[in-house]
Amino acid sequence: MQINWADTSFLLAPEILLTVGALIVLVLDLLIEDDTSPVLPGFTLLALVSAFGAAAAHLVTGVDDVALFMFAADPLTHFFRLLGIGTALLVLLVSVNYVQARSKHTGEFYSLLLWVTLAVVLVAGAHDLILLYLAFEFLSITSYVLVGWLRDDARSNEGAMKYLLFGAISSALMLYGMSLLYGATGTTRLTEIAAFFTIPETQITGLYSIVVPALVFLLAGIGFKISLVPFHQWAPDAYEGAPTPVAAFLSVGSKSAGFAVLARVLLEAMPAFQEHWTSLLVVLSILTMTLGNLVALRQTNMKRLLAYSSIAQAGYILMGLAAYSAGATFPADGLSGVLIYLVAYLFTNVGVFIGAVIFEQATGSVAISDYAGLIRRSPWLAFTFVVFFLSLAGLPPTAGFVGKLAVFYATVAKGLYFLAIIGVLNSVVSVYYYFNVIRQMFFMPAPEGAERVRMPASMGLALAISFVGTLLIGFYPEPFLNLANMSRDFISALPLL
Amino acid sequence: MLADFIETIVKILVVVVVLLTGFAYMTWFERRVIARLQVRIGPNRVGPEGLLQPLADGVKLFFKEDIIPAEADKALYLLAPMLAVVPSLLAAAVLPFGPDVTLFGRTIHLYIADINIALLYFLGLGSLGVYSVVLAGWASNNKYALLGGLRASAQMISYELAMGLSVLAVVMLTGSFSLVDIVEAQAGGRWFVLMQPLAFIIFVITMLAETKRAPFDLPEAEQELVAGFHTEYSGMKFALFYMGEYIGMIVISGVAVSLFLGGWQGPFAEQIPLLGVLYFFLKVAVFMFFFVWMRATLPRLRYDRLMQLGWKVLLPLSLANVVVTALAVVARDTGFFGLLG
Amino acid sequence: MTLEQGIFILASLLMLGSALAMVTARSMFVAALWMIGTFAGVAVLFILLNAGFLGIVQILIYIGAIAVLILFAIMLTPDVMGLKPGPRYTGQWPLAAVMASTLAAVIVLLLVRAGNDWHIADAAPNVTDFAVQLGEAFMTTYLLPFEVASGVLLVALIGALVIVRDE
Repeated sequence: MQINWADTSFLLAPEILLTVGALIVLVLDLLIEDDTSPVLPGFTLLALVSAFGAAAAHLVTGVDDVALFMFAADPLTHFFRLLGIGTALLVLLVSVNYVQARSKHTGEFYSLLLWVTLAVVLVAGAHDLILLYLAFEFLSITSYVLVGWLRDDARSNEGAMKYLLFGAISSALMLYGMSLLYGATGTTRLTEIAAFFTIPETQITGLYSIVVPALVFLLAGIGFKISLVPFHQWAPDAYEGAPTPVAAFLSVGSKSAGFAVLARVLLEAMPAFQEHWTSLLVVLSILTMTLGNLVALRQTNMKRLLAYSSIAQAGYILMGLAAYSAGATFPADGLSGVLIYLVAYLFTNVGVFIGAVIFEQATGSVAISDYAGLIRRSPWLAFTFVVFFLSLAGLPPTAGFVGKLAVFYATVAKGLYFLAIIGVLNSVVSVYYYFNVIRQMFFMPAPEGAERVRMPASMGLALAISFVGTLLIGFYPEPFLNLANMSRDFISALPLL
Repeated sequence: MLADFIETIVKILVVVVVLLTGFAYMTWFERRVIARLQVRIGPNRVGPEGLLQPLADGVKLFFKEDIIPAEADKALYLLAPMLAVVPSLLAAAVLPFGPDVTLFGRTIHLYIADINIALLYFLGLGSLGVYSVVLAGWASNNKYALLGGLRASAQMISYELAMGLSVLAVVMLTGSFSLVDIVEAQAGGRWFVLMQPLAFIIFVITMLAETKRAPFDLPEAEQELVAGFHTEYSGMKFALFYMGEYIGMIVISGVAVSLFLGGWQGPFAEQIPLLGVLYFFLKVAVFMFFFVWMRATLPRLRYDRLMQLGWKVLLPLSLANVVVTALAVVARDTGFFGLLG
Repeated sequence: MTLEQGIFILASLLMLGSALAMVTARSMFVAALWMIGTFAGVAVLFILLNAGFLGIVQILIYIGAIAVLILFAIMLTPDVMGLKPGPRYTGQWPLAAVMASTLAAVIVLLLVRAGNDWHIADAAPNVTDFAVQLGEAFMTTYLLPFEVASGVLLVALIGALVIVRDE
């Protein structure tokens, strides 16, 4: 079997750039004594930007091929590449000051940020169960390390430990599900699995009963990444303990990787079982958003609030997948809804975490009660918070509104009225706790002698980008809708191997 | 079928008997040689030149009181000495100790098994050897034993890496894990020690460490640890540890000879098979002398130095050796320009 | 019953028995030792499937390296070694038992329902150049997973150093 290296390196350009960047950052870290040197973050930024550029070029030129037999370099992958690398870019901008103030291992942090981005990208493109599992573990293990980065902070240790234990169990379950699928079909390629189940039913009746259990086991692993209920228990502790920029990455980058896998496994490997997985997804979605929202009501810690909020958000996004229908086009198509929601969620959720980082960096606090009077201490920060919370609640004129509209529309178009109603009710509940934070910021008096909240330039830039993105999608969604539509065509375009 | 079976059984018996006798006389040899090197005489009373000394020692150990410490974990305490001997004996199965012999019209291979993963098998069994010390150290419920066990296992797993990598260079040159193939590839005096001097040196050093021999005998450093992991052992169980150590030395020397010194190869070995066997045993004997010589010459390393040597010197060196060998193999098979892709 | 079936059953009993003994052991050290029994059973199964290379690698890596490191970690942790063995069961055991038996029931049900439809691969040919073929597969079809695995290991290594190393 010959490998065409020129083609391969072209198709894997973003991954190669990330890998090389991560290795160079590691070596540079050895050479540079000064932990605050701008060279390391600068180089990390360069690696991310170039990988972003390569992925964007792939998307624009419509590259659609399979690299090294197992990696699908198709529009869906390009989309998630942009999403993952974009998240990492924003996270990098806020982590420079944050990490320098809290850890001695800044170089390793940047390197691991690049590795974890690589893992997200690999997960999104994995087209074979073996690669899928390895990439998933890559993502998990890197995340455990990043969550436990603050080694002298007991919460960070606790979060990492819980994350690790949960991750180990769920990935074991996922592996078992994969082994069932392999045992049934004799292949690990996703499209070949789908092809196997087109064999006339009379010959393989017994094997049909394996698929649903296999799917449940797979969902345990993927659901852990997306933090679906009941695989969500790690999330609040991990988010609370993790360095806040890492929590931002987990809530967006790692979660979108989970959705990429879910979309691929369900749509590429198991299209024949749509009625089975649709009902599973509906149940999971209802559980996830309801529990996330209800528990979020009682939170007093900003990071835990955001953790439960992002659990709830995962429930909304899942509605889109449940509402997937192969023939439909936007806006009746759930997959486009998922993709547009994820873009909106990227800017919004990373944005709100960036706000939390800025506040934490300035005041050292993550308690919601300490946000009192933020309007006087930093009007701009308070204002951006309002926009982000509006977007998370799904109110116009923000990105979150567009995303929710797309997902809810598709759900109704598919005829899942019950799910849509639950979704709307949940959104109403979520408004309460989001506005509770806004109430603190605007209507509660600031403590005596509270200083203005200052933000370093890089954090300000990241905040501004998220802010602009959130509003831009809200006011002018066309280009983003086009992007989502382009990327959802992957299923028909992918060759049967 | 039956003849094959009998042949294998006979070979196994011969190998085991040779190894056990080798172990017994190795103790005599070591004591005599060390005595000479230290200008003493050594055991010379029991039999001519003290040749019956091992027998006398064996009888003595048989009648020693067999003590099991009250707080010891009995099952593991009994298991540990067995684990010291069994892997070493098993590893001998893949050693080719001579060319094919024709006897009563049957071609007899002078090895017990030619499995295609012989070297991995050897390394795998070597890694099991760690358990005897870990278990002995833990089961004795004695602080010296525990410390000795910890040291020994740390040392063995550290040096295993460098050993495996140095072996890898030879494997890449021959393209086979089988010791029989490797010995045959060295026909005509093309010993791998000439092509892989670095790998040879690394292998010899790691082999001293793997068998816990001086200057790497920290696990049983008597000045600080009494007798290390086997402090609590007495009688035949104690003898088993010794047996494991010496058989390990013999087998690992046999592997070193097969890997780097042409195994049984030598002048006229093909024509007169017994000469091949003789060559093999002579080469092994040289290594055995080397073991004793090192013990009499070199002082014990400090523990941190030992770890530094393993991780910071031997491991990088053997890795570099693997890389260079890989490049050379590609260049050999595809010409220099093959390296460019 | 053929010889192979006999060995299979013995190896399976070894694995399952060790696994059970491991989870019920009261001392961490003993639990880790039982785990080695499970690894050994896996190695036997590999060899039984004509994958001797994998079998030996299983011994070399899992029994010879990983299990030793685990024992090591246990022996070096004073809190674990000094303590008296913990209780055999925690309060969660009824729940765990229910979950485990449900899982077992599901698996048995699956096996029964799938019946003879399981996709059964041909027995691996007993090739002599197994290592060569494996190496080629790693450098072609499975190159990407192979490289990803090296990335995983590198990250784990860096992570362990960052979290553990004294400054």
